[in-house]
Amino acid sequence: MSASQPQRTSSADQEITATPGPPAPTTGPLKPTERPHPLTPFVRGWLVFVAIAIGWGREIVTNAGGNQFESRGLIWILPVFAVVVLLAAIAGFISWYFTRFVIDDDELRIDTGAIFKKSTKIPFERLQSVDIVQPFAARIFGLAELRLDAGNSTTKLRYLTRSKASRFRDYLLTRAHGHQASIRDLDQQAVASVFTDLGASDQPLVRVSPQRLVVSFLLSTEWLIPTAISIIILVGTVAFEMLPLALGALIPLLIGMLSLIWRRVIGMFNFTLAESPRGLRITRGLTNLTSQSLPINRVQGVKTSQPLLWKPLGWYRVDIDILGHGQDDGENNESTASSVLLPVASLDEVELAVGRVLPGFDLDGIELHPSPKRARWLRLFDFWTLRYGWDDRTLITEQGWFTHVRDVVPHAKTQSVRVEQGPLQRLLRLADVHVHTPRGPVNVVAHQLDQHSARALALSQLDRAQAARAAEREHRAVEMVRRDDHDGDAQLLARFGTGRDQLLGSGGESEVFALDHERVLRLYRGGHEAPQHTAAQLRSLYDSWRGIDIGIELPMIMDMGEHNGRLYTVDRSFSGRNYSTWLRHADMAQRRPALISFLDATERLQQLPSPVPGFARLIGDGAPGQFATLGELLTRMLWGPLQTSRARLERDVPGVSDVWNRLHAELAQRSVAPALVHGDVCPPNAYISQGAQGPVVTGIGDFSPHTLNADPLMDVAGAVIFLELEPYADAPADAAWLEAVAVERHGRDIVGWIDVYRRYYGFYFSNAYEVDPSLYAWCLRQLSR
Amino acid sequence: MEELFAPPAYEWKRLSPKYRSMRILTSLIVAPIIFTIPAVIVGVASGNWWISGLIWAAAIMIVIIRLAFVTRSWRSWGYVEREDDLYITHGVMFRNLTAVPYGRMQLVEVESGPLERAFGLASVALKTASPETGARIPGLTPEEATRLRDRLTELGEAHASGL
Repeated sequence: MSASQPQRTSSADQEITATPGPPAPTTGPLKPTERPHPLTPFVRGWLVFVAIAIGWGREIVTNAGGNQFESRGLIWILPVFAVVVLLAAIAGFISWYFTRFVIDDDELRIDTGAIFKKSTKIPFERLQSVDIVQPFAARIFGLAELRLDAGNSTTKLRYLTRSKASRFRDYLLTRAHGHQASIRDLDQQAVASVFTDLGASDQPLVRVSPQRLVVSFLLSTEWLIPTAISIIILVGTVAFEMLPLALGALIPLLIGMLSLIWRRVIGMFNFTLAESPRGLRITRGLTNLTSQSLPINRVQGVKTSQPLLWKPLGWYRVDIDILGHGQDDGENNESTASSVLLPVASLDEVELAVGRVLPGFDLDGIELHPSPKRARWLRLFDFWTLRYGWDDRTLITEQGWFTHVRDVVPHAKTQSVRVEQGPLQRLLRLADVHVHTPRGPVNVVAHQLDQHSARALALSQLDRAQAARAAEREHRAVEMVRRDDHDGDAQLLARFGTGRDQLLGSGGESEVFALDHERVLRLYRGGHEAPQHTAAQLRSLYDSWRGIDIGIELPMIMDMGEHNGRLYTVDRSFSGRNYSTWLRHADMAQRRPALISFLDATERLQQLPSPVPGFARLIGDGAPGQFATLGELLTRMLWGPLQTSRARLERDVPGVSDVWNRLHAELAQRSVAPALVHGDVCPPNAYISQGAQGPVVTGIGDFSPHTLNADPLMDVAGAVIFLELEPYADAPADAAWLEAVAVERHGRDIVGWIDVYRRYYGFYFSNAYEVDPSLYAWCLRQLSR
Repeated sequence: MEELFAPPAYEWKRLSPKYRSMRILTSLIVAPIIFTIPAVIVGVASGNWWISGLIWAAAIMIVIIRLAFVTRSWRSWGYVEREDDLYITHGVMFRNLTAVPYGRMQLVEVESGPLERAFGLASVALKTASPETGARIPGLTPEEATRLRDRLTELGEAHASGL
């Protein structure tokens, strides 16, 4: 979204309504506005003091290099210094006095200016990131600066107390994500601390230890080269006794090195990449503590680099292009570091972090092609490192030996492409391909490709970019719908006094949330076919079973209703735990008796009375529908799923029509008295409790459109074959074991019938190929047996 | 060789011949003016006017080389509007081919300096979110430049509206 929208460099007012003119207090309604913290002018005066001291110190040192240093300079500069600091303090006081702000449920507004009044009102949705910066002086007084990024402009609110700043940040980020919140609700959550500025709910993903930071810095190319040059100059000039001559060159070099230490070590100290409820967040800094949120939708590319000396240690540095971050104002000397995702990290950490900023991208699966051998004539020292590759979502280029660099750009972020060829390249039939990305460290260039591959890459890149953007748009539309659903859910959940964290389980049709120990809330997914109808049918079915005791708990719907077009029911909750979750953690000695009780429970279901006699469909469209034979009923049940999956099955199962015909012939031979069949007796629909003799399955829930009046053996077969789908290692072995138990109970001839129902359910669930690939794979296995 | 920089299945549109005239004029003027200043200074200061002569000779060499390339450089420029993107190519020794999708264009500018105006020329510059794009077509007639700008803006909007 933001990547494709024009970035208007000239007009910040497109994003923010900045109205010079009378201040809001005189025109707007009377609203309590606040001033920043009263210590603000002192802190800002201190910053001016430091800036002057540094500038002056630099001046003295440079003069000393030219042998011009005189102690007299020190005397006359002091009063000037004092005056400047005083003026700065006065200016700071005036600026503080006339700065007022409002952050409440309705607006975010900052009024500034003594003579020229300016009122900046930022709509909450425009906020792109809210960062907290704590410069050293502010940090001493427990103050912090709030930095608001909206559009292309950054608005600073300084200084506030640390707890207030972090409270505002959390509130503003909540509002920026389009959620409703009230500033008063956040009053209790003071988070930022003087050391890390991580909230209680932030999960650190990667922490860079000081040792690693320092070692990596000492081994980095940017540090080693100036160091080596300085040493050579020093040794050379000292040897020839010409040291004063070299000072002119050495001092700028030293200043450069100091500023490098400042940026790379002091600025990156305690670097922590954390996951917060509102996205990724970076905190870093020894003296100035910066907390920066990473808007993932604005990430335009990722660059991983590895200086030669880091290779044995397996360390990498990761930078990212963030839209709009390229043009920082440079007022803060650490602003250039805003593109750093990880200053130094191991491969695992890199993969973790890159996985977060480029979610869903399979970077390892991309095959990289080397440049042709003849490229060595142009790149003598690193021709073997030149590589490029792409898949349908990203383009990767690699180059460099002294510092190995790998640039990754998602196709959707490609701005334009260029093929370049110089005269030597023309002789060697080579060309470069540049893929242009917004301003930032990532620079995607595929060097020295064969000229035909270069042209093919460049021309096809635009097509890929277009396709990727279209896919992204579609994805976003889906996300939007989902978010609406999600917001609607949140309201409904809040009404029932529950929340997302109370989610008990979710299936294809609904999600279940805990209410209290008696009841659960079942929320049907939007867009699912006629859930109202289904729920009403289920309710009457469950009601008809009231008072019938078959030795296991059955579901009951206590209330139903609709909210925002979403259907919900309040169900009686089952005692015990979900059987599927329990199975994953139980050992075999516990599992096997529980499996027998599971088989018992499914067999008991056939004792339940059915509202209609004969073979019938009980829930869903056209239900109850009665059928003369089992074969007719099951053919009707398969008709719907096969409409969608027929083409897929014909492709994936050789001879699928033979399987189909055989199934029909077999079902026609089955003669059985109709009984109630649950139709989906899988462990996720069962509940287990601790009985006197060990764990026992005590409840079966989730009757559904799969529920029929049909062959009771179907549930026995289902209990066995659906067990294979459980996600624990021994599930297939357990299923085989349970089949043997069932055969012992019902006789050898059920083996053949279980196979028939394997094929039946193989067809029945085959329409799940998109939503549940593992279920579809299981279906294919059943059909190919 | 040529096909490397040819647009797929399209003919390049070339620049106005007046652009070549302008480049010939600038080639003739710029180097001699720039070189005359140091030449005169050196001559006056040292009295060794033969050094000034060498500097002038260098200027003339540059003029000759530039004149030799003017036509080829002018001819190397080309642009073509495709359905979804604009292609620009130029360069004699260092050639390049840039493709800019309409949907990515943020700004289309028509520029015309005093010299260009004197020759009845204008150039069109395209801006995307990337500073590296640097797509600029010089030496267009003002009508063509205006047409191109309007067309590109329109196409940009049409493609961006779907974004």
